Amino acid sequence: MLGLAPDAPSVKASGTLARPARWSGTGCDEDAVWGTCQGSGKSAYRASVDLSEPAFRCSCPSRKFPCKHALALLLLWSDGPVPEGAPPGWVTEWLTERRARAGRRVASDTAADGARPAGTRDPKTAERREQRVADGVAELDQWLRDQVAHGLAHAERAPYHLWDDVARRLVDAQAGALAGQVRRLASIPRRGADWPQRLLAEYALLRLLTTAFRRRAELPGPLAATVRARIGFTLTHEEVLAGERVRDLWYVAGSSDAEQDRLITRRVLLRGRDTGRSALVLSFAAPGRALDASLVVGDTVDAELAFYPGAQPLRAIVAARHAPPGRRAPRGTTVEELLREHAAALSRDPWLDRWPAVLAGLRLGRAGDDGWHVIDPAGHALPLRTTDPWRLLAVSGGRPLTVAGEWSARGLVPLSAWQEEDGLVIL
Amino acid sequence: MNAWTEHVSAALLGTQRRPPPSLPEAPAGTADPAGRLLDQAALLTVRRRAGLLPGTAEPVAPAPAETAPVVPPEAARRLAQILAGERFRVLPEWLERAAERGYRVPPRLLPDLLEKGRTDRGLRPLIARAAGRRGVWLALRNTDWAYLVAVGEDDAAADPGAWQTGTRGRRVAHLVRLRATDPAAALATLRETWDREPAPDRTVFLATFERGLSAADEEFLEAALDDRGQDVRRIAADLLARLPGSAYGRRMTERARVCLRGEHRTVRHRAQRWIVVEPPAGHDDAMQRDGIPFHAAERIGDRAGWLREVLARTPLATWTELFGMRPMEVVCLPIADAVDHDVHSAKDVHLGWARAAVRQRDAGWARALLKGGVVVDEVEALADLLAVLPAGERDAAAADLIRWVEGHDDLIRTLDRIPGPWTGELADTVVATLLTAARRPDAARFVSRLCRLADERLTPGAVSRLDEITRDHANSWPLTELTETLRFRHHMLEELR
Repeated sequence: MLGLAPDAPSVKASGTLARPARWSGTGCDEDAVWGTCQGSGKSAYRASVDLSEPAFRCSCPSRKFPCKHALALLLLWSDGPVPEGAPPGWVTEWLTERRARAGRRVASDTAADGARPAGTRDPKTAERREQRVADGVAELDQWLRDQVAHGLAHAERAPYHLWDDVARRLVDAQAGALAGQVRRLASIPRRGADWPQRLLAEYALLRLLTTAFRRRAELPGPLAATVRARIGFTLTHEEVLAGERVRDLWYVAGSSDAEQDRLITRRVLLRGRDTGRSALVLSFAAPGRALDASLVVGDTVDAELAFYPGAQPLRAIVAARHAPPGRRAPRGTTVEELLREHAAALSRDPWLDRWPAVLAGLRLGRAGDDGWHVIDPAGHALPLRTTDPWRLLAVSGGRPLTVAGEWSARGLVPLSAWQEEDGLVIL
Repeated sequence: MNAWTEHVSAALLGTQRRPPPSLPEAPAGTADPAGRLLDQAALLTVRRRAGLLPGTAEPVAPAPAETAPVVPPEAARRLAQILAGERFRVLPEWLERAAERGYRVPPRLLPDLLEKGRTDRGLRPLIARAAGRRGVWLALRNTDWAYLVAVGEDDAAADPGAWQTGTRGRRVAHLVRLRATDPAAALATLRETWDREPAPDRTVFLATFERGLSAADEEFLEAALDDRGQDVRRIAADLLARLPGSAYGRRMTERARVCLRGEHRTVRHRAQRWIVVEPPAGHDDAMQRDGIPFHAAERIGDRAGWLREVLARTPLATWTELFGMRPMEVVCLPIADAVDHDVHSAKDVHLGWARAAVRQRDAGWARALLKGGVVVDEVEALADLLAVLPAGERDAAAADLIRWVEGHDDLIRTLDRIPGPWTGELADTVVATLLTAARRPDAARFVSRLCRLADERLTPGAVSRLDEITRDHANSWPLTELTETLRFRHHMLEELR
């Protein structure tokens, strides 16, 4: 259950809270657990957990999800001292709301990019937006060329607003995704000796995107969809559900949360057992709001995914589940297969910055002073990109295991490992 | 310089100053140099990313096969909770129990556990026992955790080379190990290099003789009394004081018998045996050599300090022989001062005996001193005596002691000296004490201190009785906390069956 916790401090905090003395009005039925937790001050928080998914809600202001109260409530429930009973009003209200929402999931496409319900689009508005975005993208293109004309060296001492101003104008131009990418660039200069290389690569790929957008009419359909998504045009759930669907036994390979612009993004990586397809399920939440916790790392889920259209489909939503999740050893690839797959994916979507990887039979090793590497049975090694390889090393014991994570040209970020003795270990 | 680095340098300088390098494979496009540089860089970037080739690396050697099983899954989950900070103080108990039951820590928790041992030296031996061979294997790869290699009962300490070439820590580990199995061999080993070792090393090496101490060590220790190192001399004297049959013991007996003598007195027409005390009149070099410092550690007069030291180092058989009585009878003899009737040496005598009983691990004397009800205002000395008793007697004797001790401060100080687990009669008495104190509104501070002592030591079996108290005093945070901790420990120990 603690596998649901977002981080170690939450585990700790929830342990302290998981005592009957801190709770009042606890109860549970087949679907849910609820209770009121006495907080540190005068405040009391109402927490409830929908056991079917699981889903969480709590009235506390924590940005973590699930928060310590919800976790503590679950711990308490699993230890036994939560009596059965009928849910109070605020719980039933939430549950009904949730069920209703599940019924018409459409309306709220992930809060991410400020998407709007489908019905409100009229051709005039769409045209106006298209024009605004085009203007914004053209402005970005000019800005990129200016940067390179004046030389990247000045970026070393540039203030944050060099990028932020551009990002703001892109937000005004309704190119939200593009704005986010520009804002992230601010963290590159001065970070590591190779920052000029990384900055140039990012600028170059942005320029490729502006060019692609300018010539969008000439692009094949899927590639145009990729470009539009990367600029910030969103799709509704209905549109996605109407697209490509793939049913498989999906292995939930890893999950990572990141916060940007007061929004938490959860990336869940999936790998299809039979199709060998990779998928990425994103969910978003404003701080204190519910993040999707329905995909538990290590599970294998028999489900149908609906992929967002694109030249290299990766992002997906769960369209339907066919059976409760189970646990079984994942199938992995070799290093060579991963690199080939990554190269093929890049040829279709050159803007891909990372690619899901599930590698089997890996051993850990070192390459001189170059840090830790993973080595597959054929002897092919890839660098690990982590500051803390120790848990992975401890679990491996120097023997082969399956590692899942995100691969980029800078190295493999390990997210989970699977090995015979311990089963799944989240890293 | 390859095409990519050429592009990076051009971009750093700016295309206004340097034209972009040419890249024939790039499709001809814009005339704008900055745009062209970016377009070519995009091509190169994607090419570099897609064309990445695997490297090579040297795999780490596999960890040796384990002999112990991993703890059950519930116990592993609990350890994860503890390591994340929940009731962290129970960690030693978890580790000890796991090691006792022949379990080891699951590998995924080793990094967090080894990290705890970095800052907490006390945990290290426990970690070493529970970490399995995987723990040592892992520690060999991270210098922060090297301590585990030094304390681990792995091959390191058994390696004969450890003594010749090891660090001080490794050498101490080697000696400790050898003292446990073959004290004579340890003595021979140390003798070989003794003269060449610097004083701080001699001190720590000699301290290992605590284990397996016997008459065979006497000659060596006697010689060490003349060592150049002050700490070496002190340790040698303290060790000799534990060997009642030694020449050192006979010297002390001589000194002690000058101080204490028996006398027949008639008090209210009844003939009585008395002990008459005359503390040492002076201090000499021979006393200094035998470990009696000129200035007492405690804030008492010089003569009283010397008396305590002499008695604490005198074989206890001296007194049973001198008075022809059993220890219990000796302890109950009335004590008078030879000269000055304002001085009360009785306490010094009893304290001296109590320390001697602890040093010489004399259960008969410990029992007598505890039962005799003497030196009650030195509760620490009494509490230390408990450790000398056979395990079966300890709880009852400790319970008796707790009932005698008056005042909350003394009670806390006494209990502080009694290691866990508190079981049987002792547990009953502690719970009864808590019950009484919880009813008194002015004892809140005492309850809180007692709860904090009890949460690691009181047997988890006491939780049912504590539950009743907690129900009646629901607003007492320490009591609630104690009950919760005991319940936590109860589950924890159950999981490690």
